[in-house]
Amino acid sequence: MSTLAHDAVRYAKKPRGTSATAVLLLAGAVALLAGFALPWIAPSKLAMSLFAQALFDALLATSVGFLFLQNGRVSFGQAAFSGLGSYAFGVLVARNLVGAEAALLVALLLPTALAFLLGLVIARVSGVAHAMLTLAVGQALYEVAFRWRELAKGDDGMSFDLPARIFGVSARGLQDPAVMVVLAWSILVIVLVGLALFARSRTGMVAAAIRDNEERARFLGYSTTLPRALVYAIAAFVAALAGVLQASYNGYIAPQMFHWTVSGFALIMAIIGGAKFIIGPAVGAVALFYIKDFAGQVAEYWPAIVGGALVIVTLTMPQGIIGLADLLWRRSARR
Amino acid sequence: MSDIALQGIGLTRRFGGFIALDKVDIAVKRGEIRGLIGPNGAGKSTLIDVLSGRAKNRAGRVLINGEDVSGLTPQQRRKRGMARSFQRTNIFPDLTVEQQLRVASWAVADADIAEVMDELHLAGLADFPAAQISYGDQRRLDLALALVGRPSVLLLDEPAAGLTTEESFTLARILRDLANRWNVTVLLVEHDMQVVFSICDRISVLHLGRQLGEGTCAEVRANPTVVAAYLGTEA
Repeated sequence: MSTLAHDAVRYAKKPRGTSATAVLLLAGAVALLAGFALPWIAPSKLAMSLFAQALFDALLATSVGFLFLQNGRVSFGQAAFSGLGSYAFGVLVARNLVGAEAALLVALLLPTALAFLLGLVIARVSGVAHAMLTLAVGQALYEVAFRWRELAKGDDGMSFDLPARIFGVSARGLQDPAVMVVLAWSILVIVLVGLALFARSRTGMVAAAIRDNEERARFLGYSTTLPRALVYAIAAFVAALAGVLQASYNGYIAPQMFHWTVSGFALIMAIIGGAKFIIGPAVGAVALFYIKDFAGQVAEYWPAIVGGALVIVTLTMPQGIIGLADLLWRRSARR
Repeated sequence: MSDIALQGIGLTRRFGGFIALDKVDIAVKRGEIRGLIGPNGAGKSTLIDVLSGRAKNRAGRVLINGEDVSGLTPQQRRKRGMARSFQRTNIFPDLTVEQQLRVASWAVADADIAEVMDELHLAGLADFPAAQISYGDQRRLDLALALVGRPSVLLLDEPAAGLTTEESFTLARILRDLANRWNVTVLLVEHDMQVVFSICDRISVLHLGRQLGEGTCAEVRANPTVVAAYLGTEA
């Protein structure tokens, strides 16, 4: 048998996938419906509140993971966009500068537009230099929020009251754990399905090709900057969603929302969950949130426990929790 | 339309004080497979880089089907029908074979990928990430990426590098066949002289950045200067 024929036989055993898009949409619909059960299965309001906070983290971690998955870029400054979303919403609502609906739109679109413009520049840079640039952007915004007292009381932060209604619906529910947990869950599910669909789309596939091999993509005829900038914008939009949800739930904004430690934790969450999978960072965020919560209850030096957990996960699950699950699933499917 | 599909006129490329290409002229007719041979450092890959837009030429012009593309980017040259492969395997390791061929096709008006997969025996590998297939398959995939959309001009930089003798001849046979049927003009850099002499219509010889000679395979084999500089007496 020739080498070619031999290879054809060797490789032909792999089955072709069925309609993955249909499966994805079905799974998304089931997850959305399941979200409505959360207030009933949660043991207390505190548990619901904690889970809602974990979901905010999950959105931010998803944003970091998506940037890595589609652009191959590590960000240490994604909190810049969640923070900007929080501040835009909080400041506009607190000062009654525009209606609540307009504030919401600005809070989502401003970070998205800024990320797109930044993406046109920093997408050309890779590795440590890229990570440092994102860090610089995040810390620059942190410094602005920290020092500009007239904006939102500087380092003290600023609390604000939500308007009575947003889009004709009572806004009070945004600060009710039972409502927020369902809302945040629903948004997370929609975001995850949307990102998965994007990854399977033409633009998503081209972005992945550019991530894999920028030079070859150029020689196939592609501009390599625009798809990357688009991924930055989408990731920032997801981060801004996290920021707006957090700000509206807590009714409070503070410079710490921009801080690099928030971005760093989001990156750790993405790594723990599995940054090569759309759902991985969200799973990592929820896992790390509860590890942090548990560690904080049992030890004063809880970051050491979190650090230990990170070391264990990195060594035993280099592709993260979802990576390990995927590996086990493939092994069992082969048997 | 001009009979010349690919033309380089007075192409010059310098790296500091080193002259990698020194006023090189080359003209390849439509449908021709032109071999480009010469010892290491002769400027073969540099010439491919300059023709494809990967490297900027200090002087000279590049024409595709009579159109001056000297100031155009690689993307713009691709739109005008020029494709290339690289010395080292240059694919998308995390994408499946089919995904990356689709990506290649979207760049050239949704060109058919089934024909390329069939011609290059990649259909059975469609669902496999490129990183998981064998080196020989990766080299054929590399060529397939360049062939999507039937480019009018194809620049190949050592496509048979690292392949077994059998794989090299299979690749050469596919290339000769496609050039004939699809009327693709090919400029081929290759060190495997058996492959070069088996499929090329004409051969250009570079040495120290200058063109040493050009002719049919028989003419090049009989050229004493080329034999002395590169082929030796074994060819």
